[in-house]
Amino acid sequence: MSKTLIVAQREFVENLRTKTFWIGILSLPLILAASIAIGRFLEKSKDVRTYAVVDLSENDWLSRSIETRAAQTDLGSMLRGAGEGGGEAPDVKAWLEGLPEDHPIRDLMARIREAAPDFDPAALGGEDGDRPRLPPSVQGAVLRWALEVQRDPERAKVLQNLASSIALARYRRIDLDALGVSEEQPIDEVRASLNRAIADEKLFAYFILPGDPLADGAGEYVSNNLTDGDLRSWFERHATSVVRARRIEAMPGVTQADADLLLASFPFREQRVSSTGETETVDTKEKAAGFAPVAFVYLLWIAVFTAAQMLLTNTVEEKSNRLIEVLLSSVSPLQLMAGKVLGIAATGLTIVGAWVATALIGAQLVPDSGKLGQLDLAGIIGDPVYLTSFVGYFLAGYLLYAAILVALGSVCNSLKEAQNLMQPVFILLIVPLFAMLFVVQDPNGTVARILTYIPLYTPFLMMNRAGGPPPAWEYFASSALILVSLVIAFWAAAKVFRVGILMTGKPPRVREILRWIRAPVTSDAAVDPARRSD
Amino acid sequence: MTYAATLDHVTKRFGDHTAVHDLSLRIPAGSIYGFIGPNGAGKTTTIRMLMSIFYPDAGQIRVLGHDRPEVVKDRLGYLPEEKGLYKSMRVQEIVAYFGKLKGMSTREANERARDLLVRYGLGDWLQVKCQALSKGMGQKVQLLGTIIHNPELVILDEPFSGLDPVNMELMRSTILDMKREGRTVIFSTHVMKQAEEICDFVFMIHRSKKVFDGPIQQIKQSAGGGIHLAYDGSATEVFGELTREGLATRINDAGKEAEIHPAEGVDPQAILARLVGRVTVRTFDLREVSLHEIFVRKVRELSGEVLEETPR
Repeated sequence: MSKTLIVAQREFVENLRTKTFWIGILSLPLILAASIAIGRFLEKSKDVRTYAVVDLSENDWLSRSIETRAAQTDLGSMLRGAGEGGGEAPDVKAWLEGLPEDHPIRDLMARIREAAPDFDPAALGGEDGDRPRLPPSVQGAVLRWALEVQRDPERAKVLQNLASSIALARYRRIDLDALGVSEEQPIDEVRASLNRAIADEKLFAYFILPGDPLADGAGEYVSNNLTDGDLRSWFERHATSVVRARRIEAMPGVTQADADLLLASFPFREQRVSSTGETETVDTKEKAAGFAPVAFVYLLWIAVFTAAQMLLTNTVEEKSNRLIEVLLSSVSPLQLMAGKVLGIAATGLTIVGAWVATALIGAQLVPDSGKLGQLDLAGIIGDPVYLTSFVGYFLAGYLLYAAILVALGSVCNSLKEAQNLMQPVFILLIVPLFAMLFVVQDPNGTVARILTYIPLYTPFLMMNRAGGPPPAWEYFASSALILVSLVIAFWAAAKVFRVGILMTGKPPRVREILRWIRAPVTSDAAVDPARRSD
Repeated sequence: MTYAATLDHVTKRFGDHTAVHDLSLRIPAGSIYGFIGPNGAGKTTTIRMLMSIFYPDAGQIRVLGHDRPEVVKDRLGYLPEEKGLYKSMRVQEIVAYFGKLKGMSTREANERARDLLVRYGLGDWLQVKCQALSKGMGQKVQLLGTIIHNPELVILDEPFSGLDPVNMELMRSTILDMKREGRTVIFSTHVMKQAEEICDFVFMIHRSKKVFDGPIQQIKQSAGGGIHLAYDGSATEVFGELTREGLATRINDAGKEAEIHPAEGVDPQAILARLVGRVTVRTFDLREVSLHEIFVRKVRELSGEVLEETPR
């Protein structure tokens, strides 16, 4: 076995015994497990906001319309979620038939069929703007169903799997009766009881809707928590739509169709140019996946610095433990340096390999959440393109920083000195972390391009831009740049290392180091490396 | 005679400073060769050139018959003055590692490391981490790491410094063992007495320049004799008188012992007569002069300068 490999092997075995190594290996699985667990916990513990409505309008028409509209919006997003699972033209009917027998949506369909046998359930979906006006019988069925679902967390949960943001699962209306209030009572008494309910934390908030909402322009919202305005704005949005529609319809000579047209929103459908040059629609999952490189850049950064730091610490340790001269009696400085860099590369690759394995295993284990609405976590972390470029850029980034830090370590006598010298390097290194979010939003923009061709940042930036993705020539150019920088970096590092490693006393000045780099290899006469040890 | 190493007109400069100036040496195979001289004289630089850690700016070095010493690195054993161990490695492991770096196979290195450690009384410590070793044990482990591969030429830089008497004795006997086994041993020291005790040859360097070299007996014989005195009491006064009155050219006083060099034509008995009554004389005999004395004389002869024990 060559001496370089013997040195590398020792480095590797020794690193396997350190805590840093095991913390490194276990950090990703632990972080993943923790974030999944915390996410679940937060979801579970998220309070359902309870509210009551005191509706003074005739026959409670306003609150009924609001609730119906809200339920219809939820249904719309659930059915759109169904559509995203089925490609270009969502086949809602087929999707409905594929649902399990006891699914709450099936229950709803059964009720609608009973109330209005000719109604096409596919009409429930669609964008906010082109939602058809439901026949009154269907409206009633939807409203009753929605209020029931609100009170049943189990059913709400099942629906939430279809579209996580539905209001059905987040807000729950409480009947006035259940709070011991009757609408027959004078309004002041009603207020007093409801205020008490809020003080006793039985209720989060209540709304008071005026008797003639078309003329009287405002309702009331009472709560102890005015910072969380979600409930109010959700209710207000639907109330506004309902009241506007009624106002328009009340104008002389205006038909219902006119009212719908006036109220229809004007949405834009997002599309992008695919690799084959055609336009294609992008669903929410893919949009989320566009941000995935950020996670990879972050991990890359951690991996590169853990490994490069190991190398620095290790080199300084050998120096401060007076091991260098013993080693140099058996190996040349170049063999020693190469062995160290390789050994720690092996350590780093083991950690990164363990992470990739975690990602692949995790991708299998993360429950397939119905492929609807939810982020396709498994698909993103298990993406082979990301994983291979991750390993490749790790190696490139590590080697580049290894060359710098091994040279730095060779001129330092103590960890403290090394840390002082590290500081300016470290400040330079934060840049890719800061730029991470900007770059992922504009992967082929000017800033991203400029940073890509600064060799110290190339691996991070190319990883960062992977979602873009950059054109093929940029891959070639950046790879060539990395290779050239590696050759130069190691050429310079070797020159510094062979002089620095035997040096004791004060660390040299930058000017001195530059002189060593310029000096021909045959001469080690630039400085007396052992001025104090002879 | 075959030589384990030869240097021809070797010069090594570090910037403006010349560490070794025009040095020529012949180191006979199978001998114990001492490099002596004060701190900073150039001993370590010479040794590092032999180990091909440094390369000379001028001149020629041959080690074990090769012009390029790095070729024979595996046949050399080197114990630097500044030495350490990997704290988290186990004792057997690190000794074997040094062996592997010298080209031994993993199995061979492991076995030989165990044998050596057992032989040198560290059998119970094979699997102990180096950070748990006492200083003395650490030094032993370092020495074993130096000789695990049965080197033909062993170079020890200040091997005795910092050793307790037990380890000092161990080092001495190890050096003598190696000579018996036919190896060549070079060691450096700034304590002349140690060199005097075990060296066959010495080379003395001062301020980057060779003062003298050769077989130790020959050097001493040619230097003539001196009086060795062992005494009790305060001798400062009487020694002062002896030199002032021209009876002695120089007195190297060590407190309880002294080396007195009579001036030309002075009868040692006259000196003894002056001493009796002033101090309690325990021994008084004529013998060969010490290396220290030879060194002092040579340096004076060469430059007329006063000997400094401090580096530069």
